[in-house]
Amino acid sequence: MVAVESQPADDTERQTQLLRGALDMCLLALLAREPAHGYELVRRMATAGFGAISYGTIYPLLTRMRRLGLVADEQQVSPTGPPRKVYALTDSGRVQLAAWQQQWTRFADTVAAVLTAPDHSPTRS
Amino acid sequence: MDSIDDVLAEADRAWRAYGVGTADRTALATDLRLDLQAAAADGVDAARLLGGDVAGFARRLAVEAGVRRVRRDYGRVLRTALAGAVLGGVLAYAVLITMYPVFVRLIDIPRSVQVPIQVAVAVYYGVPALVVVAGAVLAVRLRLRDLPRIRRTGWMMSLLIPIAGILVTPLTMAFAWSTDYSTAPPVVLTEVAMVLAALAGATLLARRWSLRDRRKASGPSSPTAPEIAPA
Repeated sequence: MVAVESQPADDTERQTQLLRGALDMCLLALLAREPAHGYELVRRMATAGFGAISYGTIYPLLTRMRRLGLVADEQQVSPTGPPRKVYALTDSGRVQLAAWQQQWTRFADTVAAVLTAPDHSPTRS
Repeated sequence: MDSIDDVLAEADRAWRAYGVGTADRTALATDLRLDLQAAAADGVDAARLLGGDVAGFARRLAVEAGVRRVRRDYGRVLRTALAGAVLGGVLAYAVLITMYPVFVRLIDIPRSVQVPIQVAVAVYYGVPALVVVAGAVLAVRLRLRDLPRIRRTGWMMSLLIPIAGILVTPLTMAFAWSTDYSTAPPVVLTEVAMVLAALAGATLLARRWSLRDRRKASGPSSPTAPEIAPA
């Protein structure tokens, strides 16, 4: 379940539907830039413009991606406290991300082509 | 930290209710604690982070982690064991009534042989008790074949129920002695309840132990050694 907050109900539902098929890919992409723990990913998703996606959505998904071997956890030294466990992409995660990226690009291009194609049919009332 | 402990306690209850085994619950809780601690270090409260639905979150997490749910079915095991024990008891009583005179006629012990009273009592009551235990174990094994680890449960029952019977017998006898061996219904009911409670406890314990450490090898935690990376 993808939960996006702070938007009108219809927009939120639409955003949720769109995000559902891309959230795992986006998480992999964010982790490819820098390892992070669960809450850090929540913040990065918000910063990236997806709104406030709940921790209850991100963390289970992260757990699934670890089960699938796409990410692995590692300890990161923290200057302010005990070592933190962060998640980083594995080699197979990078391969999967590249494949998903290509698929997404093709899909987005197709959608864009449909949306931008000239429409000569008359509008019905 | 209290908030993290509270959240983990609630999640653990949800995992138990969902049928997540002990090893998986421990692994899930360990991982979640580390992540919540990292968030807490950033000043984010665990309870606020998860919102109000910790149980729903815990179930989703268990599903995504791919943990195998364990069907404990304590209620079914207990009811089936009781039915089997009752049938076994009836059978034992019938055997005792019909076969005892035959045995007496067949086995003519010479008067020179003195059989200790303890042995006689053990045989006289022990054999029917074994039939009762066998009835309970067989009923569980045969009727509940669909449950995971039911064979192991049966083995544990065949070990624990006799032990429970041996332990509860002197207690029940002591209670009977304390009431001057009264046959008043409340006293007799109490004695029956004591025995049934012991046998039920042994059955539940057998089921619980048979499901322990069901999945040690492939818990959610990464089996690889953690790497230390600079902050």
